[in-house]
Amino acid sequence: MTDPTLLEAADETRALEQLHELGCTDGLPVVIPTEVRVERMVLASGWPADMVLGAMGPNLGACSVAKLAACAVMAGCLPDHMPVVVAAAKAVLDPTFDLTEMQATTHATAPLVIVHGPVRNWCGVSGSFGALGPGHRANASIGRALRLAMINIGGGRAGTSDMALLGHPGKFTMCLAEDEESSPFPPLHTARGMNADQSAVTVIGAEAPQSVMGVLDADDPTSGDRLLESLAIGFKSMTTNNAALRSGQAVVALNPDHAQALAALGHDRDSIAEAIMARSVVTGADLATTAAAMAPPVPDRVYRCFKDPSDVLVMVAGGGGLYSVVFPTWCAGPHRNRAVTVEVEVGQACELPETTG
Amino acid sequence: MRDGVKLAHRGVPTVALVTEKFWAQGDFVARSAGLPDIPRVQLPHPVAGSGAVRMAEVAEQISEAILRAWAGTHD
Repeated sequence: MTDPTLLEAADETRALEQLHELGCTDGLPVVIPTEVRVERMVLASGWPADMVLGAMGPNLGACSVAKLAACAVMAGCLPDHMPVVVAAAKAVLDPTFDLTEMQATTHATAPLVIVHGPVRNWCGVSGSFGALGPGHRANASIGRALRLAMINIGGGRAGTSDMALLGHPGKFTMCLAEDEESSPFPPLHTARGMNADQSAVTVIGAEAPQSVMGVLDADDPTSGDRLLESLAIGFKSMTTNNAALRSGQAVVALNPDHAQALAALGHDRDSIAEAIMARSVVTGADLATTAAAMAPPVPDRVYRCFKDPSDVLVMVAGGGGLYSVVFPTWCAGPHRNRAVTVEVEVGQACELPETTG
Repeated sequence: MRDGVKLAHRGVPTVALVTEKFWAQGDFVARSAGLPDIPRVQLPHPVAGSGAVRMAEVAEQISEAILRAWAGTHD
């Protein structure tokens, strides 16, 4: 072994323990990033190993394709997943994402990776039943690769640089696809500057998903409004930073049944976002009883949780049924931790050699 | 700590105030931001929300340390 940057171990069992001891894992077993495995993952990216995508905070570590590939290997990614991992890394490296501050915050936030376009199907990223739960390899490993990059390249480690007071389980991995095939609306990424046939990821710092029940009745013309009100309660609840701090963004993941019902009532993505924004308001009295220390409120004033309807990212995901999901966000950082959408550059990959280990 | 490093890089004499529970993070940030030796003074934790009386007590306890750090004569 001549490369001083490489670790050595007698076997993979000892290598795993070494990685745990060095704090390079998320606490779960990882695939050992051998030279051969990392080289294959680099080839799958289609980019040079030493190409640097940016400085990843808070450590400001150089996020090279090779380091990112090592994290993808550790996370259990297939080579086909690598272009998505690269795009997700580019997204969090965008200055408006405020990754350095987000990694260091005491708040419970984690990157939610939303995958759009044809790459969803090529990679097998699920946007259906249980997409954020266990059993979906691409979802689990792509999100985990980003987290391992945030640990090993960005230096985010609990209690010394990642100061989340408790965190949430999505900090292990939080990745899903939009269920574009079940959606009555154009895909979310078309509202964020992409064409429908492009592959892309949107990454947003998100709290844990909060389930919102909506019992719809085709004979009740008010049931759509009641669903929109229920979704807005997920943001205007004074337990969220969207209400306490405001001016941030958030995600609404409508299940296909809810999306179809709202579409049948004449809604499109924009009108849903506008309706949720209009309902997501808190009063000075609300703030005075809970979050007054953050900014003394004017008692008679009404405060909007969102500045613009585009700050409410509406997507379709999950199985059909009674429950949709909202993701409140941190709403802090120099740029308010903005969601970032990046194209997934597929077709760059080189031909991969046969697997040898 | 990062704000302190930014101020110091602008040439402003700076002492970072860091509570004891964020002391290790402060070291990390100072290193990663390229100013590992930035003067710093440790505060008890928590300070935020501890009330005006407690704030005044803390200020009284650490004011001399801040001045020493500023003067470069801290331990």
